[in-house]
Amino acid sequence: MTTIAEREVALIDLVDRLLGGGVVIAGDITLSVAEVDLVYVQLRALISSVASAEEKGFLPRLGSAV
Amino acid sequence: MIELYALTDHPAPSLPDGASLSTVAHAGLAFVWGPAPTPTELSPELLWRHEELLEKLMEDRDILPVRYGTRLPDEAAAAWALCERHHELALALDRVRGAVELSVRVIGTEREPPPADGMSGTEYLRAREQTSTARASALRTVHEPLSLSARASSERAPRAAGELVRAAYLVDREAVQEFAATVTRLQAAHPRLRLLCTGPWPPYSFSET
Repeated sequence: MTTIAEREVALIDLVDRLLGGGVVIAGDITLSVAEVDLVYVQLRALISSVASAEEKGFLPRLGSAV
Repeated sequence: MIELYALTDHPAPSLPDGASLSTVAHAGLAFVWGPAPTPTELSPELLWRHEELLEKLMEDRDILPVRYGTRLPDEAAAAWALCERHHELALALDRVRGAVELSVRVIGTEREPPPADGMSGTEYLRAREQTSTARASALRTVHEPLSLSARASSERAPRAAGELVRAAYLVDREAVQEFAATVTRLQAAHPRLRLLCTGPWPPYSFSET
């Protein structure tokens, strides 16, 4: 990722994946469902500002992990 | 307490330096774990640090990410979890072997702003019908062709206003550039939609057992 804006666009996808994905193993999960909802609320201001930026358009971002 | 990060094959390339990572292995599989960090308020920086660690692992091995924030009392508990669910974890890792995840969201750019004085019941129903038509059309013109270039795909309910498609694709590592080219081609063919593609991500959305 090269610019802050692209990083913010990717943050939405990151939050979706980290908080909603991954294999669930028995054990404590640090975040309860309520806390996950809270994270979305906390990030909503950022996400809505990104949503308007998105309509102006960004190039697809492909990282270097492959 | 320890924090689990990912499931990998064992043996695997040596772990990246500087992140205090260890592995616990059983019969060809291993969990990568580290000391559980002291709880702090969740922030974008914290999530990115976790992501960077997984991306680093993903550079030279196949990984099945573990749900963010999974903590166990100690290494023995991790070994037990690995033993107990070995068969299904091995199958889950096999499903993502050699692949990465790409995210695509489709935003409609022709959304009419809601009237300032609120909508009548009829206007509301019409707006809802328009959204549902736009969504069906975006699924057909974007999601379907992309699914054909992927090993697997998953599609979730849009979360933000204006969002029509929120999808994840499991793509072979060697097919990522081709997938990105397809995204670029679809974007050019549908200028009224905005396609947002990010990745490659660890296969978070394809980690069910």
